[in-house]
Amino acid sequence: MSRLVAELPAPTGTKPAGTGRRRRSRQERLAYTILLPALGTVFVIVTIPFVLAIWQSITADDGTLVGFRNYTRALSNPLFYDALRATGLYALIVLPTEILLGLGFALLVHRAVKRAGLRATLYVLAVLPLVVPPVAVGVVARLIYAPGYGVLNYVLQSVGITHSEIQWLSDPLLAMGSVASVDIWQWTPFVYLVLFAGLQTVPKESVEAAQVDGATWWTQFRYIELYYLRPLFLLILFFRMADVLRVFDHVFILTGGGPGTATQLLSLYIYRIEFRFFDGGQAAALAVLVLVAISILYSLVTRALPLERA
Amino acid sequence: MQRISRREFVKRTAVTGAAFTSFPALLAACGESTGANKVSKLVLAAVQGNEDGPLKKVVGNYKSQTGIEVQIVEFPYDSLFSKLVTTFQANDSSYDLCMMDDPWMPKFGTMGALQPLDSSFGFTRDSDIPTVVYDVGTWPPPHGPVPPTEQSKAQHLYGITIVGNVEMFMYRSDKSSAPANWDAVLANAKQFNAANFYGYVIRGKATNPVSSDSLPILWSFGGNIFDDTWKVQLDSADSITAVDFLTRKLKQYAEPGAANFDAAERSQAMATGKAYQSTVWPGEITGIVEDPTVSQVKGKVAYIPIPQGPSGKGLGMMGNWLLGIPKGSHNGSAAADFIKWMLKTENMRNYVAQGGVPIRKSILNDASLAAANPYFKALAASFDAVPNWRPRTDQWGAVETSYGTAMNAAVAGQLTPQAAMQQAASQIRATMKGAGYPS
Repeated sequence: MSRLVAELPAPTGTKPAGTGRRRRSRQERLAYTILLPALGTVFVIVTIPFVLAIWQSITADDGTLVGFRNYTRALSNPLFYDALRATGLYALIVLPTEILLGLGFALLVHRAVKRAGLRATLYVLAVLPLVVPPVAVGVVARLIYAPGYGVLNYVLQSVGITHSEIQWLSDPLLAMGSVASVDIWQWTPFVYLVLFAGLQTVPKESVEAAQVDGATWWTQFRYIELYYLRPLFLLILFFRMADVLRVFDHVFILTGGGPGTATQLLSLYIYRIEFRFFDGGQAAALAVLVLVAISILYSLVTRALPLERA
Repeated sequence: MQRISRREFVKRTAVTGAAFTSFPALLAACGESTGANKVSKLVLAAVQGNEDGPLKKVVGNYKSQTGIEVQIVEFPYDSLFSKLVTTFQANDSSYDLCMMDDPWMPKFGTMGALQPLDSSFGFTRDSDIPTVVYDVGTWPPPHGPVPPTEQSKAQHLYGITIVGNVEMFMYRSDKSSAPANWDAVLANAKQFNAANFYGYVIRGKATNPVSSDSLPILWSFGGNIFDDTWKVQLDSADSITAVDFLTRKLKQYAEPGAANFDAAERSQAMATGKAYQSTVWPGEITGIVEDPTVSQVKGKVAYIPIPQGPSGKGLGMMGNWLLGIPKGSHNGSAAADFIKWMLKTENMRNYVAQGGVPIRKSILNDASLAAANPYFKALAASFDAVPNWRPRTDQWGAVETSYGTAMNAAVAGQLTPQAAMQQAASQIRATMKGAGYPS
């Protein structure tokens, strides 16, 4: 906002004598007026709930102040650390896989597919998983992985790869892999679309010059294309990390957080604290802790991957 | 075209906007004023699935008889609960009626979220309906431990059962006679277990499914979650023996992947002839196992009350779905009339014809209905034996989550029965202590 205001023409009138504060010019007032509805909306839908969450996290059900008691209860619950561990493992599986696969597809299409019609078809196909409701994705995934009638086991046994059912959702590691695979299916296209769009911004002259100089596909990617994609990686990480913290539907449908607590991710855990335990104070404390943690994580990522092209 | 000033434009826009935004409110206000005289529509929040299917089929008759439309708004099981809780907290008038699973009654009773059916709308007990059906809709509970905060409250009827669910037992009657007790269940499981044929099916998915599946066994073995003074009993010898029986002895002959089996998978396994026996809810029987369009075993499965355990008792579990009237509803009287209509014998017969689970003894014991509903006799016997209900505490959601998570870990083999029950007991003790119960 300050940048916008700074770019506006300087005030033309002279400062009235005897006043300590500079009067805002008409353009400045217009800028603030235009911004007001947007800022007001942000205040209503973001700031107020956040302040309420902080308030709820330091009060009991009857509204009395309890200090940091809800935070200490949240941090002393071993299930919180199980959920944290499960979420970390989930993120470690899905984020690198989605980025590598999405990057691979983007490079492949960018370099190998030149026909506009085919590119448009691939674009539509990539958008499809993104618009399917997560609940529907979860239900379909359950039909694939379910014990007893799961399509995947049927196919594997039919072609002779396995001779007995693989317990995709009952074994802790396989269950985590199964729920992660659903995420990867749904969100790799997002990474592909973003990176493919980024590749379109790479100047052809630079690429052609490099090719004339004998650059291999790897050096072309490493020293030219990657340079343009770096800020997009940051964008993808921001979005996907936020999404990983919100994952709920397909995990709930596929495993219900089990076996045991193996796939009980933070979102499911907080849901249960709020709507099964009806412990609003602890749930709010957990939400605030997650927000603080993710903010720190974001700042670390920003430092590691500067947004500006250096 | 006439030009208008900016000021005039803003003024006209504001007036038009205000008119549009207030129009629905005006309409609603008009509706309320006329609604005091005659209600034309009732809104019912219902659970999506087998439980509300027959209800959806009979509400048309109510409209043709009374002119009142019953609009059914469906939610999945968990969403319905959280939706109702938030609606009740806001004392919102969105719903005139709500379907409630019976373990939700303590939460709603403690919240004071419902209108009393007896004192406000003249509901009295009918001798053709089992006493326990009224008891389960009464708050505070007429028997068993009462939460400390509720002991001074007057008892009222807040819910009437419209789905008379009691957990029962099913087995392949074309292969053997009925098991007399859980030892016989184990013996049959061992005898009939074969490649691609499970001797027993465990509904072992985390939280609610495995909790529902295991509680009848826990009770029949003399175990329990709480005693009569709210002391946690899950780590008692009887409770651990029961969990050991299910997660080790029976599991040897159960389906692979039991830790992720829910009701749909269990019914599918039975209906496709892949399993010998399991516990069962009425909805699974009418919806899958006895449905000739999907079942390969219709007529080959028998239904009995939960077998006896070492305690000498076989205790089924209630899972009644009740209808209640939210306190926020402005149409309480009309909503009560609908519940009374549902309870009438002739309407309940029609409800049964649409796949509904009745609560009238005369219907359950009607020989002319037995062939089409082979579980009615077992359900009547289960009501006569007085099934258990889940502990009547507003903390049940937390208790079930802790118990169901630990049980799931035991079924998956992640924890021993003893470790699982110690973990669950420890968590539940902390929860109950925090809620003001004796620990």
